Amino acid sequence: MTSIGLLVPLYLLPAVTHNEVVLTILIFTFILGIMATGFNIVFGHAGQLTMFHAAAFGIGSYATYLAMVGLKLPFWLALLPAVAVVTALSLLVGWICFQFRLKEFYFAVVTLAFAELARLVVLNWTSLTNGTLGLLVLEKPTVWLPGAGVTRIDGTFAWYWLTLTALLLVACASAILVRSWIGRNLSAIRLNEDLAQTLGINIFRYKLLAFTVSNVLAAFAGALFGFYTNYIEPAYLSVTQSLDAIAMVLLGGIGSILGPIVGAFLLTALPHAIDLTAEVRAATYGAILILAILVMPRGIVGFFRRRPRAS
Amino acid sequence: MSQVIAGQFLNGIIVGTLYGIIALGVTMTFGITGIVNFALGQFMMIGAYAVWHLTDVARLPFPVAAGLAIIIAALAGFLADQTLFRFTRNNLVNGLLVSIGLISVIESAAIYFYTATPKNMDFVLSGSWSVGEITLSRMKVLSFGLLVAVVALTWAGLARTWLGRATRAYAQNPEAAMLMGVRTSALQTGVVVYSCALAGFGGALYASLYSLEPSMGALFILKGVEAAILAGVGNLPGALVGGIILGVTESVGSLFLPVAFRDAYGLVFLVAILLFRPAGLFGGQK
Repeated sequence: MTSIGLLVPLYLLPAVTHNEVVLTILIFTFILGIMATGFNIVFGHAGQLTMFHAAAFGIGSYATYLAMVGLKLPFWLALLPAVAVVTALSLLVGWICFQFRLKEFYFAVVTLAFAELARLVVLNWTSLTNGTLGLLVLEKPTVWLPGAGVTRIDGTFAWYWLTLTALLLVACASAILVRSWIGRNLSAIRLNEDLAQTLGINIFRYKLLAFTVSNVLAAFAGALFGFYTNYIEPAYLSVTQSLDAIAMVLLGGIGSILGPIVGAFLLTALPHAIDLTAEVRAATYGAILILAILVMPRGIVGFFRRRPRAS
Repeated sequence: MSQVIAGQFLNGIIVGTLYGIIALGVTMTFGITGIVNFALGQFMMIGAYAVWHLTDVARLPFPVAAGLAIIIAALAGFLADQTLFRFTRNNLVNGLLVSIGLISVIESAAIYFYTATPKNMDFVLSGSWSVGEITLSRMKVLSFGLLVAVVALTWAGLARTWLGRATRAYAQNPEAAMLMGVRTSALQTGVVVYSCALAGFGGALYASLYSLEPSMGALFILKGVEAAILAGVGNLPGALVGGIILGVTESVGSLFLPVAFRDAYGLVFLVAILLFRPAGLFGGQK
């Protein structure tokens, strides 16, 4: 919890700087940090390498927008049907994978297959999704603020505070989750699945829970991402989106609260910090991923922490 | 209509053997080093670009260029093994992530040196044979023959030679093989390099048939993994057959269902096989 406290001073940053680039990078960091935090629950704690979160991210943004336009709902209520869709899909995919006891490589490959199928469906369901052209999002979320009433979230400052708040809430919820008995059971599954089962942990149920929670968080991140960038496209569901989250968690520090957020910040900021062409940027990204795994297997946060974590 | 189906069927077989050669590499690497080299498709791309460069720019004859391309792909594989994969032996997740990082690096290098514009190689072997209503380009038939020969030789080599026996022994029981005097780390490096050389060979033939782009590798590794799992991981001739089944389904299926779902067949196969017959169609060699 103390580590989340380190993020609170970020609320004051807009008072110090009005630099659009810095604030925009941080907004993307906060949004992608939500997805990475979700991925950290299923991979860092439960030890299941899923490739489905890009699908959840993309479906979350499409479903929120379509519910908002189709059902004339405000953003926050439109999130509910989106979460329902992603939960249902996660339960289905997770049920199939865990019921048939798919592990490691096979779990990764099958979730990847489902994510690719989802992408193909989104890409070709043109009447609903407008195909490769994507959807232009003109609506914005609104929030009720004391004194100001219902306010449209528009402009850099509003988005900065909204996404920071969202990230802090998600990080707190995730910290509470992984420190509870649920988190301990997930760690038990990661460290020794057979032993966990022998000790009476229902591994099927806990894996399914971790998988679903992480996908719902990815869907939430996807919805924020689509409404912030005003644009939703099928590429949100692509494999690279999944790989980004994996790289963020590994680089920042697997299994820690702050790690995914640090990773999200570094991978968002690096391409802007150094002026790079697209190819060199992709190569740098790959090199960072390789180095993170070979040199700092516990990521940046783990690297600077003195004692290795117990669970 | 029937000759259209037959034509697509034959096209599917050609593409399928290319899937199969990657699947062979996937299956062998997984059996011996415990990881899947997801960058195998990029080694295929290295082979393809090498052959394009050597024939169209350096003006070497195709067989020489193809031989050099195989060597280049093998050297790249050796380099990758010594600097990266050596440290991720039997750690599937790390191997997966390292090879994914490698994909970005190799692909960006290809875009940097050769740009993203597709390249078309001059015809190596023009002309075609006609059987009834169906015409088949000679190069496609030749490629098919060469790829099948390579798979057959690999299989025979594993079955007959001392090195093959050592490899199979290692796959069965690493400790026992080590005690019998098998130099295991050399063997693991050898298998990684061999799989990259196979991919480079596949790439060289691909270059003579289709146009090249730096992103071509991503498709092939996915199909290769699908074919290997379809056949059963560890089954060498099965990898080729799995690739052909996949290639034929895609080609023929595209006649009846929207082409957009071409890539979905393999995914559906993959899920169905892993759920209902995890050892694969022909059973793995575990």
